[in-house]
Amino acid sequence: MTTVLFGLVLRAAVVLLGTALVTFALLWHAPGDPALAIALARYQVVVPDAVRDQVRAEAGFDAGFWTAFSAWLGPILTGDFGQSSVTGRDVWPDLLVAISHTAPLALAGLAIGLLISVPLALLATRNPGGLLDRGAVALASIGAAVPQYWLGLLLILLFAEHLSWLPAMGARTSMHMVLPALTLGLAVSASLTRILRSGIQEARGRPFLPAFRRRGVSGSALERDHVARHAAVPVITVFGLELAFLLEGAVMVEIIFARPGLGSFLVSAIEARDFPKVQAVVIVSVALFVTVNLMIDVLYRLIDPRIGEPHA
Amino acid sequence: MRSVGVLAAIFIALALLGPSIAPHDPTAINIPARLSPPSATWWLGTDALGRDILSRLLHGARWSLGLAFIVSVIGLCMGTLAGLVAALGGKYADWIVMRATDTFLSFPDLVAAVVIAGVLGAGTGSLIFALCVTGWMRYARVARGIGLSLRSRGYVVQARLAGLSPLSIARWHYLPALLPSLTVVWTGMFARAILGISALGFLGFGVQPPTPEWGTMLLDARIHMRSTPLQMIWPGLAVVTCVLAINLVGDALRDALAH
Repeated sequence: MTTVLFGLVLRAAVVLLGTALVTFALLWHAPGDPALAIALARYQVVVPDAVRDQVRAEAGFDAGFWTAFSAWLGPILTGDFGQSSVTGRDVWPDLLVAISHTAPLALAGLAIGLLISVPLALLATRNPGGLLDRGAVALASIGAAVPQYWLGLLLILLFAEHLSWLPAMGARTSMHMVLPALTLGLAVSASLTRILRSGIQEARGRPFLPAFRRRGVSGSALERDHVARHAAVPVITVFGLELAFLLEGAVMVEIIFARPGLGSFLVSAIEARDFPKVQAVVIVSVALFVTVNLMIDVLYRLIDPRIGEPHA
Repeated sequence: MRSVGVLAAIFIALALLGPSIAPHDPTAINIPARLSPPSATWWLGTDALGRDILSRLLHGARWSLGLAFIVSVIGLCMGTLAGLVAALGGKYADWIVMRATDTFLSFPDLVAAVVIAGVLGAGTGSLIFALCVTGWMRYARVARGIGLSLRSRGYVVQARLAGLSPLSIARWHYLPALLPSLTVVWTGMFARAILGISALGFLGFGVQPPTPEWGTMLLDARIHMRSTPLQMIWPGLAVVTCVLAINLVGDALRDALAH
Protein backbone atom coordinates (compact mmCIF):
# COMPACT_ATOMS: atom_id res chain seq x y z
CA MET A 1 0.00 0.00 0.00
CA THR A 2 2.85 2.41 0.81
CA THR A 3 4.47 1.87 -2.59
CA VAL A 4 1.10 2.27 -4.31
CA LEU A 5 0.48 5.47 -2.37
CA PHE A 6 3.94 6.75 -3.24
CA GLY A 7 3.32 6.02 -6.93
CA LEU A 8 -0.01 7.86 -6.88
CA VAL A 9 1.48 10.91 -5.15
CA LEU A 10 4.40 10.96 -7.58
CA ARG A 11 2.00 10.84 -10.52
CA ALA A 12 -0.07 13.69 -9.09
CA ALA A 13 3.11 15.72 -8.62
CA VAL A 14 4.16 15.14 -12.24
CA VAL A 15 0.71 16.21 -13.43
CA LEU A 16 0.83 19.36 -11.26
CA LEU A 17 4.25 20.26 -12.62
CA GLY A 18 2.96 19.66 -16.15
CA THR A 19 -0.05 21.93 -15.67
CA ALA A 20 2.18 24.66 -14.22
CA LEU A 21 4.45 24.38 -17.26
CA VAL A 22 1.54 24.49 -19.73
CA THR A 23 -0.04 27.47 -17.96
CA PHE A 24 3.21 29.41 -17.85
CA ALA A 25 4.03 28.59 -21.47
CA LEU A 26 0.63 29.82 -22.67
CA LEU A 27 1.00 33.18 -20.96
CA TRP A 28 4.66 33.44 -21.96
CA HIS A 29 3.73 33.06 -25.62
CA ALA A 30 0.66 35.29 -25.42
CA PRO A 31 0.56 37.85 -28.23
CA GLY A 32 1.31 41.50 -27.58
CA ASP A 33 3.87 43.03 -25.26
CA PRO A 34 2.72 42.16 -21.73
CA ALA A 35 5.13 44.73 -20.25
CA LEU A 36 3.53 47.50 -22.30
CA ALA A 37 0.05 46.32 -21.31
CA ILE A 38 0.99 46.35 -17.64
CA ALA A 39 2.63 49.77 -17.87
CA LEU A 40 -0.44 51.18 -19.62
CA ALA A 41 -2.78 49.64 -17.07
CA ARG A 42 -0.70 51.04 -14.23
CA TYR A 43 -0.03 54.57 -15.42
CA GLN A 44 -2.91 55.18 -17.86
CA VAL A 45 -0.78 57.46 -20.07
CA VAL A 46 1.61 57.21 -22.98
CA VAL A 47 4.45 55.10 -21.64
CA PRO A 48 8.10 56.01 -22.32
CA ASP A 49 10.32 53.10 -23.40
CA ALA A 50 12.37 53.34 -20.20
CA VAL A 51 9.31 52.71 -18.04
CA ARG A 52 8.30 49.79 -20.20
CA ASP A 53 11.76 48.25 -19.92
CA GLN A 54 11.66 48.71 -16.17
CA VAL A 55 8.32 46.90 -15.96
CA ARG A 56 9.70 44.14 -18.17
CA ALA A 57 12.71 43.62 -15.91
CA GLU A 58 10.53 43.78 -12.79
CA ALA A 59 8.21 41.07 -14.07
CA GLY A 60 11.16 38.92 -15.19
CA PHE A 61 10.09 39.04 -18.84
CA ASP A 62 13.62 39.76 -20.07
CA ALA A 63 15.07 36.49 -18.75
CA GLY A 64 14.83 33.26 -20.75
CA PHE A 65 11.78 30.99 -20.56
CA TRP A 66 13.23 28.43 -18.15
CA THR A 67 14.75 31.06 -15.87
CA ALA A 68 11.45 32.89 -15.72
CA PHE A 69 9.56 29.62 -15.19
CA SER A 70 11.68 28.50 -12.24
CA ALA A 71 11.66 32.01 -10.76
CA TRP A 72 7.86 31.89 -10.95
CA LEU A 73 7.39 28.31 -9.75
CA GLY A 74 9.65 28.57 -6.69
CA PRO A 75 7.53 31.03 -4.69
CA ILE A 76 4.27 29.29 -5.75
CA LEU A 77 5.39 26.13 -3.97
CA THR A 78 5.42 28.19 -0.78
CA GLY A 79 2.00 29.67 -1.56
CA ASP A 80 3.24 33.02 -2.89
CA PHE A 81 1.50 33.81 -6.18
CA GLY A 82 3.29 37.13 -6.63
CA GLN A 83 1.77 40.54 -7.15
CA SER A 84 -0.96 41.65 -9.49
CA SER A 85 0.76 43.18 -12.50
CA VAL A 86 -1.87 45.92 -12.61
CA THR A 87 -2.42 47.01 -9.01
CA GLY A 88 0.83 45.68 -7.53
CA ARG A 89 -1.11 44.11 -4.66
CA ASP A 90 -0.45 40.53 -3.54
CA VAL A 91 -2.57 38.09 -5.55
CA TRP A 92 -3.16 35.51 -2.81
CA PRO A 93 -5.33 37.57 -0.38
CA ASP A 94 -7.55 38.77 -3.24
CA LEU A 95 -7.82 35.23 -4.53
CA LEU A 96 -8.79 33.98 -1.07
CA VAL A 97 -11.62 36.53 -0.95
CA ALA A 98 -12.83 35.31 -4.36
CA ILE A 99 -12.67 31.68 -3.20
CA SER A 100 -14.60 32.54 -0.04
CA HIS A 101 -17.44 33.70 -2.30
CA THR A 102 -17.29 30.74 -4.69
CA ALA A 103 -16.91 27.87 -2.19
CA PRO A 104 -20.34 28.31 -0.48
CA LEU A 105 -22.00 28.61 -3.89
CA ALA A 106 -20.34 25.43 -5.15
CA LEU A 107 -21.23 23.54 -1.94
CA ALA A 108 -24.85 24.74 -2.06
CA GLY A 109 -25.03 23.70 -5.72
CA LEU A 110 -23.64 20.27 -4.88
CA ALA A 111 -26.11 19.88 -2.00
CA ILE A 112 -29.06 20.76 -4.25
CA GLY A 113 -27.72 18.43 -6.93
CA LEU A 114 -27.52 15.54 -4.44
CA LEU A 115 -30.96 16.30 -3.01
CA ILE A 116 -32.45 16.00 -6.49
CA SER A 117 -30.40 13.19 -7.98
CA VAL A 118 -30.14 10.66 -5.13
CA PRO A 119 -33.91 10.21 -4.59
CA LEU A 120 -34.49 10.36 -8.35
CA ALA A 121 -31.90 7.65 -9.04
CA LEU A 122 -33.22 5.45 -6.22
CA LEU A 123 -36.80 5.77 -7.48
CA ALA A 124 -35.76 5.20 -11.08
CA THR A 125 -33.81 2.01 -10.36
CA ARG A 126 -36.64 0.48 -8.32
CA ASN A 127 -38.31 -0.49 -11.56
CA PRO A 128 -35.82 -0.45 -14.45
CA GLY A 129 -37.44 0.43 -17.77
CA GLY A 130 -40.57 1.69 -16.01
CA LEU A 131 -42.19 5.07 -16.37
CA LEU A 132 -40.19 6.68 -13.55
CA ASP A 133 -36.95 5.27 -14.90
CA ARG A 134 -37.56 6.56 -18.40
CA GLY A 135 -38.65 9.90 -17.01
CA ALA A 136 -35.44 10.23 -14.98
CA VAL A 137 -33.31 9.33 -18.01
CA ALA A 138 -35.17 11.86 -20.16
CA LEU A 139 -34.73 14.58 -17.53
CA ALA A 140 -31.04 13.80 -17.20
CA SER A 141 -30.55 13.83 -20.98
CA ILE A 142 -32.27 17.17 -21.36
CA GLY A 143 -30.40 18.55 -18.35
CA ALA A 144 -27.08 17.57 -19.90
CA ALA A 145 -27.95 19.53 -23.05
CA VAL A 146 -28.99 22.78 -21.37
CA PRO A 147 -26.17 25.35 -21.14
CA GLN A 148 -25.82 26.59 -17.55
CA TYR A 149 -25.82 30.23 -18.50
CA TRP A 150 -29.11 29.81 -20.37
CA LEU A 151 -30.69 27.91 -17.49
CA GLY A 152 -29.61 30.76 -15.19
CA LEU A 153 -31.18 33.35 -17.48
CA LEU A 154 -34.42 31.35 -17.64
CA LEU A 155 -34.55 31.12 -13.84
CA ILE A 156 -33.95 34.88 -13.55
CA LEU A 157 -36.74 35.45 -16.07
CA LEU A 158 -39.18 33.24 -14.16
CA PHE A 159 -38.40 33.84 -10.48
CA ALA A 160 -36.96 37.35 -10.50
CA GLU A 161 -38.69 39.11 -13.40
CA HIS A 162 -42.00 37.33 -13.80
CA LEU A 163 -42.84 36.20 -10.27
CA SER A 164 -40.59 38.66 -8.37
CA TRP A 165 -39.97 36.02 -5.68
CA LEU A 166 -36.20 36.18 -5.52
CA PRO A 167 -33.45 38.72 -6.14
CA ALA A 168 -31.24 37.96 -9.14
CA MET A 169 -28.21 40.21 -9.31
CA GLY A 170 -25.39 40.66 -6.83
CA ALA A 171 -24.69 38.97 -3.48
CA ARG A 172 -25.98 41.36 -0.81
CA THR A 173 -28.26 38.97 1.12
CA SER A 174 -28.42 35.22 1.54
CA MET A 175 -31.55 35.23 -0.66
CA HIS A 176 -29.26 36.27 -3.51
CA MET A 177 -27.67 32.84 -3.22
CA VAL A 178 -30.87 30.89 -3.98
CA LEU A 179 -31.13 31.32 -7.76
CA PRO A 180 -27.39 30.83 -8.50
CA ALA A 181 -27.26 27.74 -6.28
CA LEU A 182 -30.41 26.37 -7.91
CA THR A 183 -28.92 26.90 -11.39
CA LEU A 184 -25.76 25.09 -10.41
CA GLY A 185 -27.66 22.36 -8.55
CA LEU A 186 -29.98 21.60 -11.46
CA ALA A 187 -27.03 21.41 -13.84
CA VAL A 188 -25.11 19.09 -11.50
CA SER A 189 -28.13 16.88 -10.83
CA ALA A 190 -28.44 15.98 -14.53
CA SER A 191 -25.08 14.24 -14.72
CA LEU A 192 -25.27 12.91 -11.14
CA THR A 193 -28.63 11.23 -11.81
CA ARG A 194 -27.28 9.56 -14.91
CA ILE A 195 -24.22 8.15 -13.16
CA LEU A 196 -26.00 7.19 -9.93
CA ARG A 197 -28.70 5.39 -11.90
CA SER A 198 -26.32 3.31 -13.98
CA GLY A 199 -24.11 2.64 -10.94
CA ILE A 200 -27.00 1.35 -8.83
CA GLN A 201 -28.46 -0.60 -11.72
CA GLU A 202 -25.18 -2.32 -12.41
CA ALA A 203 -24.73 -3.14 -8.71
CA ARG A 204 -28.26 -4.57 -8.56
CA GLY A 205 -27.54 -6.83 -11.50
CA ARG A 206 -24.61 -8.58 -9.81
CA PRO A 207 -25.01 -12.36 -10.02
CA PHE A 208 -24.22 -12.96 -6.33
CA LEU A 209 -27.24 -10.96 -5.11
CA PRO A 210 -29.88 -13.65 -5.85
CA ALA A 211 -27.57 -16.18 -4.22
CA PHE A 212 -27.39 -14.11 -1.04
CA ARG A 213 -31.14 -13.59 -1.11
CA ARG A 214 -31.81 -17.30 -1.34
CA ARG A 215 -29.53 -17.84 1.61
CA GLY A 216 -31.86 -15.59 3.60
CA VAL A 217 -29.96 -12.29 3.69
CA SER A 218 -32.56 -9.57 4.25
CA GLY A 219 -33.31 -6.98 1.56
CA SER A 220 -32.06 -4.00 3.54
CA ALA A 221 -28.81 -5.73 4.51
CA LEU A 222 -28.30 -6.64 0.87
CA GLU A 223 -28.83 -3.03 -0.23
CA ARG A 224 -26.52 -1.64 2.44
CA ASP A 225 -23.67 -4.14 2.38
CA HIS A 226 -23.58 -5.09 -1.28
CA VAL A 227 -25.52 -2.83 -3.62
CA ALA A 228 -24.39 0.43 -1.96
CA ARG A 229 -20.79 -0.72 -1.80
CA HIS A 230 -20.65 -1.75 -5.44
CA ALA A 231 -22.42 1.39 -6.57
CA ALA A 232 -19.98 3.53 -4.58
CA VAL A 233 -17.03 3.07 -6.94
CA PRO A 234 -18.53 4.70 -10.06
CA VAL A 235 -20.23 7.33 -7.91
CA ILE A 236 -16.97 8.35 -6.26
CA THR A 237 -15.29 8.55 -9.67
CA VAL A 238 -17.93 10.96 -10.79
CA PHE A 239 -17.40 13.09 -7.73
CA GLY A 240 -13.89 13.84 -8.92
CA LEU A 241 -15.16 14.85 -12.34
CA GLU A 242 -18.12 16.67 -10.84
CA LEU A 243 -15.73 18.88 -8.90
CA ALA A 244 -14.30 20.33 -12.10
CA PHE A 245 -17.85 20.74 -13.38
CA LEU A 246 -18.88 22.53 -10.17
CA LEU A 247 -15.92 24.86 -10.41
CA GLU A 248 -16.51 25.92 -13.99
CA GLY A 249 -20.26 25.96 -13.38
CA ALA A 250 -19.73 28.34 -10.47
CA VAL A 251 -17.58 30.54 -12.72
CA MET A 252 -20.36 30.78 -15.32
CA VAL A 253 -23.14 31.21 -12.77
CA GLU A 254 -21.27 34.00 -10.99
CA ILE A 255 -20.92 35.90 -14.20
CA ILE A 256 -24.62 35.59 -15.06
CA PHE A 257 -25.75 36.65 -11.60
CA ALA A 258 -23.08 39.37 -11.28
CA ARG A 259 -21.75 37.76 -8.08
CA PRO A 260 -18.25 38.39 -6.80
CA GLY A 261 -16.07 35.27 -6.82
CA LEU A 262 -13.58 33.27 -8.89
CA GLY A 263 -15.56 33.82 -12.10
CA SER A 264 -15.45 37.59 -12.09
CA PHE A 265 -11.90 37.46 -10.68
CA LEU A 266 -10.78 35.35 -13.65
CA VAL A 267 -12.63 37.23 -16.38
CA SER A 268 -11.54 40.67 -15.16
CA ALA A 269 -7.95 39.43 -14.83
CA ILE A 270 -8.00 38.11 -18.41
CA GLU A 271 -9.45 41.36 -19.71
CA ALA A 272 -6.81 43.42 -17.86
CA ARG A 273 -4.11 40.94 -19.00
CA ASP A 274 -3.21 40.59 -15.33
CA PHE A 275 -1.33 37.33 -15.87
CA PRO A 276 -0.24 36.60 -12.27
CA LYS A 277 -3.93 36.55 -11.29
CA VAL A 278 -4.88 34.34 -14.25
CA GLN A 279 -2.06 31.94 -13.41
CA ALA A 280 -3.11 31.82 -9.76
CA VAL A 281 -6.72 30.90 -10.61
CA VAL A 282 -5.64 28.14 -12.98
CA ILE A 283 -3.00 26.72 -10.62
CA VAL A 284 -5.33 26.72 -7.61
CA SER A 285 -8.20 25.07 -9.48
CA VAL A 286 -5.92 22.44 -10.97
CA ALA A 287 -4.30 21.75 -7.59
CA LEU A 288 -7.74 21.29 -6.05
CA PHE A 289 -8.78 18.93 -8.83
CA VAL A 290 -5.59 16.86 -8.67
CA THR A 291 -5.70 16.62 -4.87
CA VAL A 292 -9.32 15.48 -4.79
CA ASN A 293 -8.66 12.90 -7.49
CA LEU A 294 -5.63 11.64 -5.59
CA MET A 295 -7.83 11.20 -2.52
CA ILE A 296 -10.39 9.38 -4.67
CA ASP A 297 -7.70 7.04 -6.01
CA VAL A 298 -6.78 6.14 -2.44
CA LEU A 299 -10.42 5.82 -1.39
CA TYR A 300 -11.11 3.36 -4.22
CA ARG A 301 -8.50 1.01 -2.95
CA LEU A 302 -10.07 1.09 0.49
CA ILE A 303 -13.59 0.41 -0.82
CA ASP A 304 -12.65 -2.12 -3.45
CA PRO A 305 -9.40 -3.94 -2.64
CA ARG A 306 -9.42 -5.52 -6.12
CA ILE A 307 -8.56 -2.20 -7.80
CA GLY A 308 -4.88 -1.91 -8.53
CA GLU A 309 -4.19 -5.59 -7.81
CA PRO A 310 -2.04 -7.17 -10.50
CA HIS A 311 -4.46 -10.07 -11.12
CA ALA A 312 -7.75 -8.20 -10.84
CA MET B 1 -34.60 6.43 -31.85
CA ARG B 2 -35.39 6.96 -35.52
CA SER B 3 -37.07 10.28 -34.74
CA VAL B 4 -33.86 11.42 -33.05
CA GLY B 5 -31.88 10.57 -36.16
CA VAL B 6 -34.36 12.55 -38.22
CA LEU B 7 -34.02 15.51 -35.85
CA ALA B 8 -30.24 15.41 -36.10
CA ALA B 9 -30.48 15.20 -39.89
CA ILE B 10 -32.76 18.25 -39.93
CA PHE B 11 -30.19 20.23 -37.98
CA ILE B 12 -27.37 19.24 -40.31
CA ALA B 13 -29.56 20.22 -43.28
CA LEU B 14 -30.36 23.55 -41.63
CA ALA B 15 -26.67 24.24 -41.01
CA LEU B 16 -25.89 23.50 -44.65
CA LEU B 17 -28.91 25.17 -46.22
CA GLY B 18 -29.52 27.83 -43.56
CA PRO B 19 -28.06 30.81 -45.37
CA SER B 20 -30.01 30.08 -48.56
CA ILE B 21 -33.40 29.62 -46.87
CA ALA B 22 -33.06 32.51 -44.41
CA PRO B 23 -35.81 35.06 -45.15
CA HIS B 24 -33.66 38.13 -44.38
CA ASP B 25 -30.05 39.32 -44.33
CA PRO B 26 -28.79 38.30 -40.86
CA THR B 27 -26.68 41.46 -40.45
CA ALA B 28 -29.07 43.99 -42.03
CA ILE B 29 -29.73 46.67 -39.42
CA ASN B 30 -33.29 48.02 -39.34
CA ILE B 31 -33.68 50.43 -36.43
CA PRO B 32 -37.40 51.27 -36.92
CA ALA B 33 -38.22 47.55 -36.57
CA ARG B 34 -36.00 46.96 -33.51
CA LEU B 35 -37.20 44.53 -30.84
CA SER B 36 -40.28 43.58 -32.88
CA PRO B 37 -42.35 40.70 -31.51
CA PRO B 38 -42.83 37.62 -33.73
CA SER B 39 -45.02 38.49 -36.75
CA ALA B 40 -45.64 37.44 -40.34
CA THR B 41 -42.58 39.41 -41.53
CA TRP B 42 -40.32 38.60 -38.59
CA TRP B 43 -41.21 35.01 -37.68
CA LEU B 44 -39.22 35.02 -34.44
CA GLY B 45 -39.05 38.79 -33.99
CA THR B 46 -36.04 41.09 -34.27
CA ASP B 47 -33.13 41.98 -31.99
CA ALA B 48 -32.01 45.34 -30.59
CA LEU B 49 -30.68 46.44 -33.99
CA GLY B 50 -33.76 45.25 -35.89
CA ARG B 51 -32.00 42.19 -37.31
CA ASP B 52 -34.22 39.18 -38.08
CA ILE B 53 -33.71 36.56 -35.36
CA LEU B 54 -34.74 33.57 -37.51
CA SER B 55 -32.24 34.52 -40.20
CA ARG B 56 -29.54 34.99 -37.57
CA LEU B 57 -30.34 31.58 -36.07
CA LEU B 58 -30.16 29.90 -39.49
CA HIS B 59 -26.87 31.59 -40.36
CA GLY B 60 -25.65 30.95 -36.82
CA ALA B 61 -26.17 27.20 -37.26
CA ARG B 62 -23.30 27.21 -39.73
CA TRP B 63 -21.03 28.86 -37.15
CA SER B 64 -22.16 26.97 -34.06
CA LEU B 65 -22.39 23.52 -35.67
CA GLY B 66 -19.67 24.03 -38.27
CA LEU B 67 -17.06 25.22 -35.79
CA ALA B 68 -18.03 22.43 -33.38
CA PHE B 69 -17.57 19.93 -36.21
CA ILE B 70 -14.13 21.29 -37.09
CA VAL B 71 -13.03 21.37 -33.45
CA SER B 72 -14.23 17.85 -32.70
CA VAL B 73 -12.63 16.37 -35.84
CA ILE B 74 -9.27 18.03 -35.11
CA GLY B 75 -9.51 16.73 -31.54
CA LEU B 76 -10.31 13.25 -32.92
CA CYS B 77 -7.19 13.25 -35.10
CA MET B 78 -4.91 14.64 -32.35
CA GLY B 79 -6.25 12.25 -29.71
CA THR B 80 -6.15 9.14 -31.93
CA LEU B 81 -2.58 9.91 -32.92
CA ALA B 82 -1.57 10.44 -29.28
CA GLY B 83 -3.34 7.24 -28.19
CA LEU B 84 -1.71 5.15 -30.92
CA VAL B 85 1.73 6.58 -30.13
CA ALA B 86 1.15 5.62 -26.48
CA ALA B 87 -0.02 2.10 -27.35
CA LEU B 88 2.60 1.32 -29.99
CA GLY B 89 5.55 3.55 -29.21
CA GLY B 90 6.96 1.64 -26.27
CA LYS B 91 7.15 2.20 -22.54
CA TYR B 92 8.60 5.71 -22.49
CA ALA B 93 6.36 7.10 -25.20
CA ASP B 94 3.39 5.62 -23.35
CA TRP B 95 4.45 7.26 -20.08
CA ILE B 96 4.99 10.68 -21.66
CA VAL B 97 1.74 10.66 -23.65
CA MET B 98 -0.35 9.43 -20.74
CA ARG B 99 1.09 12.00 -18.32
CA ALA B 100 0.39 14.69 -20.92
CA THR B 101 -3.17 13.37 -21.15
CA ASP B 102 -3.54 13.46 -17.35
CA THR B 103 -2.10 16.98 -17.32
CA PHE B 104 -4.56 18.36 -19.86
CA LEU B 105 -7.45 16.49 -18.22
CA SER B 106 -6.66 18.29 -14.95
CA PHE B 107 -7.64 21.69 -16.29
CA PRO B 108 -11.35 22.35 -15.83
CA ASP B 109 -12.43 22.42 -19.52
CA LEU B 110 -14.29 25.67 -19.61
CA VAL B 111 -11.88 27.58 -17.38
CA ALA B 112 -8.97 26.47 -19.58
CA ALA B 113 -10.85 27.37 -22.77
CA VAL B 114 -11.74 30.82 -21.38
CA VAL B 115 -8.12 31.45 -20.35
CA ILE B 116 -6.67 30.30 -23.68
CA ALA B 117 -9.20 32.14 -25.85
CA GLY B 118 -9.04 35.24 -23.65
CA VAL B 119 -5.25 35.40 -23.48
CA LEU B 120 -4.77 34.80 -27.21
CA GLY B 121 -7.33 37.50 -27.98
CA ALA B 122 -11.01 36.97 -28.73
CA GLY B 123 -11.66 35.58 -32.20
CA THR B 124 -12.54 32.47 -34.14
CA GLY B 125 -8.93 31.25 -34.42
CA SER B 126 -8.28 31.38 -30.67
CA LEU B 127 -11.67 29.75 -30.09
CA ILE B 128 -10.79 26.77 -32.29
CA PHE B 129 -7.33 26.48 -30.72
CA ALA B 130 -8.73 26.68 -27.17
CA LEU B 131 -11.33 23.96 -27.74
CA CYS B 132 -8.91 21.64 -29.59
CA VAL B 133 -6.28 21.89 -26.85
CA THR B 134 -8.89 20.99 -24.23
CA GLY B 135 -10.68 18.36 -26.32
CA TRP B 136 -8.30 15.58 -27.45
CA MET B 137 -7.68 13.62 -24.24
CA ARG B 138 -10.69 11.32 -24.21
CA TYR B 139 -9.94 10.08 -27.71
CA ALA B 140 -6.36 9.43 -26.63
CA ARG B 141 -7.44 7.32 -23.65
CA VAL B 142 -9.88 5.25 -25.70
CA ALA B 143 -7.43 4.79 -28.59
CA ARG B 144 -4.65 3.73 -26.21
CA GLY B 145 -6.89 1.29 -24.35
CA ILE B 146 -8.07 -0.46 -27.50
CA GLY B 147 -4.59 -0.26 -29.02
CA LEU B 148 -3.05 -2.05 -26.03
CA SER B 149 -5.67 -4.80 -26.16
CA LEU B 150 -5.03 -5.31 -29.89
CA ARG B 151 -1.27 -5.55 -29.58
CA SER B 152 -1.27 -9.18 -28.51
CA ARG B 153 -4.04 -10.33 -30.86
CA GLY B 154 -3.04 -13.07 -33.29
CA TYR B 155 -3.56 -11.16 -36.51
CA VAL B 156 -1.64 -8.14 -35.29
CA VAL B 157 1.26 -10.30 -34.10
CA GLN B 158 1.28 -12.09 -37.45
CA ALA B 159 1.28 -8.81 -39.33
CA ARG B 160 4.24 -7.68 -37.26
CA LEU B 161 6.10 -10.95 -37.84
CA ALA B 162 5.34 -10.70 -41.55
CA GLY B 163 7.36 -7.49 -41.51
CA LEU B 164 4.60 -4.89 -41.89
CA SER B 165 5.79 -1.47 -40.75
CA PRO B 166 4.19 -0.03 -37.58
CA LEU B 167 2.55 2.63 -39.74
CA SER B 168 0.80 0.10 -41.98
CA ILE B 169 -0.21 -1.96 -38.95
CA ALA B 170 -1.72 1.16 -37.42
CA ARG B 171 -3.47 2.00 -40.69
CA TRP B 172 -4.83 -1.46 -41.59
CA HIS B 173 -5.35 -3.16 -38.23
CA TYR B 174 -5.77 -0.50 -35.58
CA LEU B 175 -7.81 2.24 -37.23
CA PRO B 176 -10.68 -0.03 -38.37
CA ALA B 177 -10.90 -1.53 -34.87
CA LEU B 178 -10.81 1.89 -33.23
CA LEU B 179 -13.38 3.57 -35.44
CA PRO B 180 -16.65 2.44 -33.77
CA SER B 181 -15.63 3.43 -30.23
CA LEU B 182 -14.04 6.66 -31.39
CA THR B 183 -17.24 7.58 -33.23
CA VAL B 184 -19.17 7.27 -29.97
CA VAL B 185 -16.61 9.46 -28.18
CA TRP B 186 -16.77 11.89 -31.09
CA THR B 187 -20.54 12.43 -30.81
CA GLY B 188 -20.08 13.35 -27.14
CA MET B 189 -17.24 15.72 -27.95
CA PHE B 190 -19.19 17.27 -30.83
CA ALA B 191 -22.03 18.09 -28.43
CA ARG B 192 -19.53 19.37 -25.87
CA ALA B 193 -17.94 21.61 -28.51
CA ILE B 194 -21.34 23.16 -29.34
CA LEU B 195 -21.80 23.97 -25.65
CA GLY B 196 -18.23 25.28 -25.38
CA ILE B 197 -18.51 27.53 -28.43
CA SER B 198 -21.77 29.04 -27.25
CA ALA B 199 -20.41 29.50 -23.69
CA LEU B 200 -17.31 31.31 -24.96
CA GLY B 201 -19.48 33.37 -27.31
CA PHE B 202 -21.72 34.27 -24.39
CA LEU B 203 -18.70 35.39 -22.34
CA GLY B 204 -17.49 37.52 -25.24
CA PHE B 205 -14.36 35.41 -25.88
CA GLY B 206 -15.68 33.50 -28.88
CA VAL B 207 -17.01 34.38 -32.32
CA GLN B 208 -17.23 38.15 -32.51
CA PRO B 209 -20.28 40.24 -33.44
CA PRO B 210 -21.87 40.96 -35.87
CA THR B 211 -21.34 37.32 -36.88
CA PRO B 212 -24.48 35.47 -35.82
CA GLU B 213 -23.42 32.69 -33.46
CA TRP B 214 -25.88 31.29 -30.91
CA GLY B 215 -23.86 32.13 -27.79
CA THR B 216 -23.08 35.64 -29.04
CA MET B 217 -26.79 36.11 -29.83
CA LEU B 218 -27.62 35.17 -26.24
CA LEU B 219 -25.14 37.75 -24.99
CA ASP B 220 -26.96 40.42 -27.05
CA ALA B 221 -30.39 39.17 -25.96
CA ARG B 222 -29.47 39.23 -22.28
CA ILE B 223 -29.39 43.03 -22.21
CA HIS B 224 -33.01 43.23 -23.39
CA MET B 225 -34.19 40.31 -21.30
CA ARG B 226 -36.83 42.36 -19.51
CA SER B 227 -38.52 43.95 -22.51
CA THR B 228 -38.23 41.06 -24.98
CA PRO B 229 -37.69 37.79 -23.11
CA LEU B 230 -38.50 35.72 -26.20
CA GLN B 231 -35.36 36.96 -27.94
CA MET B 232 -33.36 35.07 -25.33
CA ILE B 233 -35.35 31.85 -25.67
CA TRP B 234 -34.63 31.04 -29.32
CA PRO B 235 -30.82 30.71 -29.41
CA GLY B 236 -30.85 28.72 -26.17
CA LEU B 237 -33.53 26.41 -27.53
CA ALA B 238 -31.43 25.88 -30.67
CA VAL B 239 -28.40 24.87 -28.58
CA VAL B 240 -30.45 22.53 -26.37
CA THR B 241 -32.20 20.69 -29.21
CA CYS B 242 -28.97 20.29 -31.17
CA VAL B 243 -26.97 19.00 -28.23
CA LEU B 244 -29.81 16.72 -27.15
CA ALA B 245 -30.19 15.25 -30.65
CA ILE B 246 -26.45 14.60 -30.97
CA ASN B 247 -26.23 13.06 -27.51
CA LEU B 248 -29.14 10.74 -28.23
CA VAL B 249 -27.59 9.66 -31.52
CA GLY B 250 -24.40 8.95 -29.56
CA ASP B 251 -26.34 6.88 -27.01
CA ALA B 252 -28.02 4.91 -29.80
CA LEU B 253 -24.64 4.26 -31.46
CA ARG B 254 -23.17 3.09 -28.16
CA ASP B 255 -26.08 0.72 -27.57
CA ALA B 256 -25.82 -0.60 -31.11
CA LEU B 257 -22.09 -1.26 -30.56
CA ALA B 258 -22.70 -3.03 -27.27
CA HIS B 259 -25.02 -5.58 -28.88
